[in-house]
Parts: sequence; C-alpha cells; structure tokens
Amino acid sequence: MMLQLSQVSIVKNQQVLIKDFNLTIPNGEIVTLMGASGSGKSTLLSWILGVLPEAFQAQGHLQLNGQVLDHIPIEKRCIGIIFQEDLLFPHWNVGQNLAFALPKTVQGKTRRERIEQVLEQVGLAGFYERDPATLSGGQRSRVSVLRAILAEPQALLLDEPFAKLDRALRSQVREWVFTQVQALNIPVLLVTHDEDDVPLGGRVVELVAKEE
Amino acid sequence: MSVIFLPVLWALGGVLQPAMNLAVWQALCQEPQVFGALRHTLISALGSTVLALLLAISSVIALYPSRIWQWLTRRLAVLLAFPHAAFAVGLSFLIAPTGFIARLLAPLLEWTNPPLWLTPQDPYALSLMLALALKESWFLLWVLAAALQQQHILRALHVAQSLGYGRLQIWLQVLLPQVLPRLAGALAAVLAYSVSVVDMAVILAPSTPPPLAVLGWQWLHDNDPHYYALGSAVSVLLMLIMVGISLMGWLGYKLLVLLNQTPSGQRWRTFPLPFKATGIVSLVVLSGWLALLLLALWSVAEQWFFPDLLPQRWTLKAWWQFDGSLLGNTLLLGAASSVIAVIVTLIWLEAFPQLSSEWWYGALCLPAVPLVVAQYTVVIRFGLESTYVALVWSHLWWVLPYVLLVLAGAYRSFDTRFEIAARALGYARWQVFWRVKLPMLGRPISAAVAVGFAVSVAQYLPTVMLGAGRITTMTTEAVALSAGGNRRTLAVYALGQALLPWLVFMLMSSLAFWQARNRRGLK
Repeated sequence: MMLQLSQVSIVKNQQVLIKDFNLTIPNGEIVTLMGASGSGKSTLLSWILGVLPEAFQAQGHLQLNGQVLDHIPIEKRCIGIIFQEDLLFPHWNVGQNLAFALPKTVQGKTRRERIEQVLEQVGLAGFYERDPATLSGGQRSRVSVLRAILAEPQALLLDEPFAKLDRALRSQVREWVFTQVQALNIPVLLVTHDEDDVPLGGRVVELVAKEE
Repeated sequence: MSVIFLPVLWALGGVLQPAMNLAVWQALCQEPQVFGALRHTLISALGSTVLALLLAISSVIALYPSRIWQWLTRRLAVLLAFPHAAFAVGLSFLIAPTGFIARLLAPLLEWTNPPLWLTPQDPYALSLMLALALKESWFLLWVLAAALQQQHILRALHVAQSLGYGRLQIWLQVLLPQVLPRLAGALAAVLAYSVSVVDMAVILAPSTPPPLAVLGWQWLHDNDPHYYALGSAVSVLLMLIMVGISLMGWLGYKLLVLLNQTPSGQRWRTFPLPFKATGIVSLVVLSGWLALLLLALWSVAEQWFFPDLLPQRWTLKAWWQFDGSLLGNTLLLGAASSVIAVIVTLIWLEAFPQLSSEWWYGALCLPAVPLVVAQYTVVIRFGLESTYVALVWSHLWWVLPYVLLVLAGAYRSFDTRFEIAARALGYARWQVFWRVKLPMLGRPISAAVAVGFAVSVAQYLPTVMLGAGRITTMTTEAVALSAGGNRRTLAVYALGQALLPWLVFMLMSSLAFWQARNRRGLK
C-alpha cells in the first residue's frame, strides 16, 4: 500500500524541468520534497493530481495502492490536496464546507453530528455556523485540513501548507497537522521551502533545478 | 462626470412625466400593437439574456482552464469590437432564405429555390433573440474571463476535484455561487440593452408590430402629444420589464444558493459533458467570424444566385460608391469620445481610488430609448442640435462606463509601492502620475481607448436622434439601408463599421507592444 512515482519527466517549451524522477512513499510516511524556486515542485504536484497545464508534456507513471492513475481524472484519484491558502469556499459556512467533503455514506442528522464532533476534536466546538472569513489564520488552516481529511483520501499532498502562517502559529499548526495525517496511515507528500517544516526524522527528497 | 450624467437624469424626469397619468396607461392598453410588441420584447430580451448566460457558462464549464479557453479569451476583444448593427446584418445574411445556411443545405435537400423561411424578421422575434444572445455571450465571457483570472478560483476547482467531485457539479455548487454575483452588473447591462435595442430590432425583428423599444421610439418622435405620452409610458414599461426580469434572476440565484445549502456528499457520476467544448465554442465564436465573412463576400458580389455558395461575378462597385464623409464622422466621434472618456476616467480613478466601479453598470442599465430623448431635450435647450459637440457628449454616456470598467481593474491592482518609491525620490504626485504610473499602465489605457472607440462606433440611437440626419455615421447608414436597400451597399457599410473598431484595436495593441518592445516587465 503506497504512492509510487516512476520515471517521471516533465518538459515545458523544450526545457526539461524534471527528469527520470522516482519516489515511493509507503503508508504512514510523510516525505518532504524540497528545492529552490523553479525546481518544479509545484509542477510535480500538479502532475500527481492530474491537473498539469497543457503547456507541459509529461511522461512516467503514478500508482496508488497498486492502481495505475495515469489516465484517471483528479476527482477519481482519491488524492487530497492542501494548499498554502486555505481555499475555504466563501459562500458556505464552516460546517457546509466540511459537509461538502464528507462522503454521502454518512447521511441525515449524522452528517451534522459527525462534523460537530470533528470540530470539537480540533478545538473548534461551536464553529459549524461560522463564516470562514471571520476565522483566524490558524483556525482556517485547521478547517482546511479537516476538509481534506473528511473526504477519506488514500494519499495526501501538502503544498507549502504553513507558508502563510506567522512564526508562532506555524510550529503549533505543523505539529497538529502531522498528528492528524499520521493517524490516517496514508502516504503524504509535503512540499516546502523551510527546513523547519520537515517532520522529525522524516525523509527529505531534494528536487534540483535543471540548467536551461 | 456631472456634465455628462446629471443634465440627462434631470431631463429624463421630463420625458417620463407624461406617463404619470392613468389615462395614458388605459390608452396604451387599447393600442392594438402593444401586446404583440410586448411579446416580442419579452421573447427577445428574456430569451437572449438567458441564452447568452447559458452559452457563456457552458463554455466556461467545458473549457476553463484549457488551452482552448486561453485561445478563446484572447480573441474576445476582437469579437467585442463587432458593432451590434453590423453583426445583425451579417447574421441576416446567414439565416435568410437566400442566406448561407440555406445555401449549405440546398444540395443535401435538393433545393433549387430558397426555402419559405420567415427569417430574419420572423414573427416571434427569434432571430433577434439569437443575435442578441450570441453577441452578448462574448461580453459575458469577457467579464467571466476577467473574474477567472484569479489563481484562487483554479485552486478552488482543484481542491473540489480532489474531494471527488466532477466539473459540472463543482461549477454548479461551488464556483457559480461565487462568480455569479460578480457577473450581476454585466448581466443587468445585457438585459437593459436587449430590452431597449432598436438598431438590431430594425434589422432582425418583425415590424408589425415591432418590439416595444422600437414602438416607443417611433411614438416619442411623434408630434402628437397623445403618442408622445404613449412613448413615455412605453419607456416606463421597459424599465418595469427590466426590473421584473432582474428580480426573477435574483430569485433564481437565491434558489441556486438555497439548493446548495447543505451538501449531501453525493458525488454525481462524472460523464462526458453533453455540450463538449467544440460545439459551443464553434457556435459562439464562429457566428462572429461567419457574419464577418458574409459581409465581406456580399460587399464584392455582383451576381450571386441561389443556391451557389460563392458569387458568380465579383465587383468593387459598391466600394467605389462609399461615402467618405460617413467614415470621417464615425472616426471623429469615436476618437473624440474615447479619448475624452479615458482622460475623465483617469482623473476620476486618481481622485476616488476606493470607489467601486460596479456602480457604473448603473448607467448601462437604463433603457436607451427614454435616455436619448432626454439627451435631445438637453441639447435643444443649449441650442446644440446637430453638432459634433452634442454627439460626442451623448456617446459619452455609454462610452465612459465601459472605459471605466476596463481601466478600473488594472488601475486598482497597480502596486502603490511604485508611487511611494517615486515620491520618496522627491517627485510631486502629478509628476509620479505622468512619468511612472501612466507609462506603466500603457497597455490597459490603450485597450480602454479601443473599447471606447468600439462603443462609440456602435451607437445608433443617440447618433440618429441628435445628429438629426445632418451628421450621419456608418452605423446610421447601415441601419437605414437594411430596410430594403441594396445588399452590396449595406454590406460595405456594415463591414466598414465592423472593421473600423478592429483596426483601432490593432493600432492600440501595436502601440502598447511598441512601448513595451524592450521592457519585459510591461508585457
């Protein structure tokens, strides 16, 4: 059970961004992907999600738990994504944002109860009806992570999720996120600039920018 | 700003005043043409606004953010510059019984004579509805493209997809509720235009009875006070229709939001969209290019019998008879009104940087028919009838809001730290504006001049009323010729009317490109 990238090469305008990249992340591991700006970190995440812009040409294979995902649309990949912006949908309250992620197998009143319960678990009890715009940065981050988790992904991508938080909040949210995602026991790929973001004893993969 | 808007608003009260009498409304109800006219207005205005919105939204759902979407949005400016009347003429050449569609079908259906179609002036005003829908869908797509340029919308799409939802469901439940409110002003402007359109209606709508706007326009020209009062009542009715349809639209939006109140978690089965990309785009974009092509063909056709796809004999005769003074008038009015509008807009934005530009849709949301009569009243009072000054002034009512809408976004997203840095170097505010801000905003300013010019060229009602036949433009001539004139001459004026804004777009883009030739940061 793992996320596996094999022989990934990405080219844009005949310029090689990534060449023959391989990576395997077993369940429960958080691998950190680092590299300078322009080294192709975000491009690689877009490729894993299946939303690489058409200007890029990519080769290589992606497997999740033995299933080949190469030609599967993003909504069928079961890969969650958390960006540095929380991207909570502004026309919905906190609870509605979370309900959107919750699978339909949870039905009726149980949906609200389940959301209230997870909100309480992360210290946001009573936040169901709150407008996302009135939340602090840390609270928004937590709701955003909860939303990704509630959809029950089989792998998770974190695209510099702590970059917009101030220093004091950063370490606090970081520890909280790591605890949450480790409990899921799924492969997690974290992209960051900041060495402080690397989980203790975690594996780091460096992506080197290709020369023009 | 006050000189352009306030006198008209004051005079508008005078135009609408005769309608404040119950007897006038009773007389209106007894007019045999009114209910037919109302039906035509409702079909063309409501139908075209809904269809334009559906065309624009379906294109976005199917295409955003693909390469075809980028291709389409880059070509919208050219389509937007296509004047309404010219497009209507081109479309009539497409859908008429001797039009291009019938000629394409003829070999398949073994037609030797034109079919008995009632197009373009069909009895239900469907041709007008289609023309308005296609033309206005370009404008809505342009507004949508600007709203979708923000990176967070693309990311929101990806987040919702990663939660297991397909494109159609995401647009309906997540993105449209966010984007539609930003489209409200543009939609209201589209509706107001469709409700009160006269030039396209003269070309494409039935004449017995015509849509309400044309009927009201005819009555407001009548010297008989009885008919003037009826025209005034029709103007009020146009506004009521506009308010009524807007209210329905608002309720529809609220319903959409209400239906999405509690996400059930149900992921719709993703299926290939029924209206897959190419179909809609070809309908929306190709209609513009086809209309242009047909205008070009007719302008050089000497003999073109049905059902041949191309003329048998070609001639440039219609072009030699082209009246240069019309070109001169069109150019002069377009250049003067667009340049004045840009200067006024820059002063306005500099003076009130925080004021929302959405309000300017308000000017575009009033039906043109009573407004132009109000403008005429003001012009008479100042003894300026049939003067260039009066015409430029009247065009500014429509040119200014569009220029403002084009410039406001770029102006507000200008990084103010550039100004602070320049001021800190010891320059006065006006020097910083002139030497730093204006050159950096060269590209949007050029675009605004081009848009202003295109809006001015398209003006029919104010030109025909305030010019009073003494100052005519290619637009007034094309509409006049559409009522039974020579097709070749009509094609020449309609094509000229379409090409002129396009050439100005090219000129302004070249200027912006030239200014940025050695500066990558300005591109």
